[in-house]
Amino acid sequence: MLSQFSAKALLASTLMLLAGAILILNLGGYLGPAQNVILPPLVAAQDWVSQRYFTIRDLVTSPRDVAALQARIGELEAENAQLEDRLIGLQEQAAEAEVLGALLNYARTRPESRYLSTNVIGLDPSPFIRSINIGVGSDRGVRHGMPVVTDEGLVGRVTEVTAVTSRVQLITDPASAVNVLLQGSRADGLLSAQPNGELWVELIDQDASVEPGELVLTSGLGGAFPADIAVGRVVSVRRRDFEMFQRAVIQPTVNFNALEIVLLVTNFRRLEIAP
Amino acid sequence: MTYLIGIPAIAVLTILQTSLVGHLRLIEGRPDLVMLAVVAWALTGRTHEAMVFGFAGGLFLDAFSAVPLGVSAAALVIVAVIASYSEGQFWGINPIMQLAAVLLGTVVYNLIIISALLVIGQPLDLQLALGRIVLPSLFVNLILTLPSVQLTEGLHNLLHPPRVAA
Repeated sequence: MLSQFSAKALLASTLMLLAGAILILNLGGYLGPAQNVILPPLVAAQDWVSQRYFTIRDLVTSPRDVAALQARIGELEAENAQLEDRLIGLQEQAAEAEVLGALLNYARTRPESRYLSTNVIGLDPSPFIRSINIGVGSDRGVRHGMPVVTDEGLVGRVTEVTAVTSRVQLITDPASAVNVLLQGSRADGLLSAQPNGELWVELIDQDASVEPGELVLTSGLGGAFPADIAVGRVVSVRRRDFEMFQRAVIQPTVNFNALEIVLLVTNFRRLEIAP
Repeated sequence: MTYLIGIPAIAVLTILQTSLVGHLRLIEGRPDLVMLAVVAWALTGRTHEAMVFGFAGGLFLDAFSAVPLGVSAAALVIVAVIASYSEGQFWGINPIMQLAAVLLGTVVYNLIIISALLVIGQPLDLQLALGRIVLPSLFVNLILTLPSVQLTEGLHNLLHPPRVAA
């Protein structure tokens, strides 16, 4: 009995020590090559299961002629994304023209974004973290910090890259922060997710006239995200005279529960500002 | 033989956990398939194997997660040790003890993950995490306890048929 207990304790201690060693090696960045060997078959299986799941779900929830309809929807979504992009650009230009008037005789030029589409192959198994795994990695040119979008708006950014897969931190993760611009009032703010899932835009100037329904876009400040990507719409505003800033609760434009395919903005260069 | 079947099975459960379970939310809770398998295997009396499965399953889970690699592995080894306390006890086969093992396992597992996330600076609202994530998951895990124990016992009997005296 005692020897059995000792053997159990010995094995448990060994495994715990091993886990500790792996943790330290991983934090030191020494396990990247090992992960690149172990992950591909798991990722392939995960991708396969995800695709089957989406197919079955679509079969159950969609009418017949699924393949043709899906293809048509895909085309329309792509077209819609382009039109939305153009619309946002035009609205931005119009709003800017209103603010700056004829004095600023320039049109803000934005380089055409290049996209890499990929499937969402999994969700973070930890319910405390809001991130997704996507099926492309450094082999396809994915880099840390790349913005991730859908036709609906901003999804998040790449925070971890292996050879065949990447992890995307969603803007709904409490550790995420995005500089945003409220389109109507032209006020800047900082988007932060709350642990309860709400999205707040904080640090809005007290003088700004923020209205519910207003569109929230990325501002591009800080260089972490390109400007003018839709993020959400203002649901409610909290303005107190004794506080320095206003706060707005927003509804994201992206439906994070139905993410299947996302786009990486591959030609965006993230600014690394370091002292 | 057990490891040859068990570790791939744990890998499959991890894949299901990361690709399917996240979409299938029952009362806002997500079942912890790998943890359930580890607890159920420990309850069959094969603690050493349960610990190894927990270790491997934890590494698989962490590979797909932003949780630091090794944390879930350590957590699931501890869960296996806790679940093995009923080993050799006459009350060990009582379904209530099985539910208690899953209850304790879920709480310990989640507390270890939450602690690790707090250490690495992930913002967490503890009250919310416990009330809206751990509690619903615990409820779903408890619902799945008896089926998973039955399934595991069936697999156990297949791999280790009980010896019958001649």
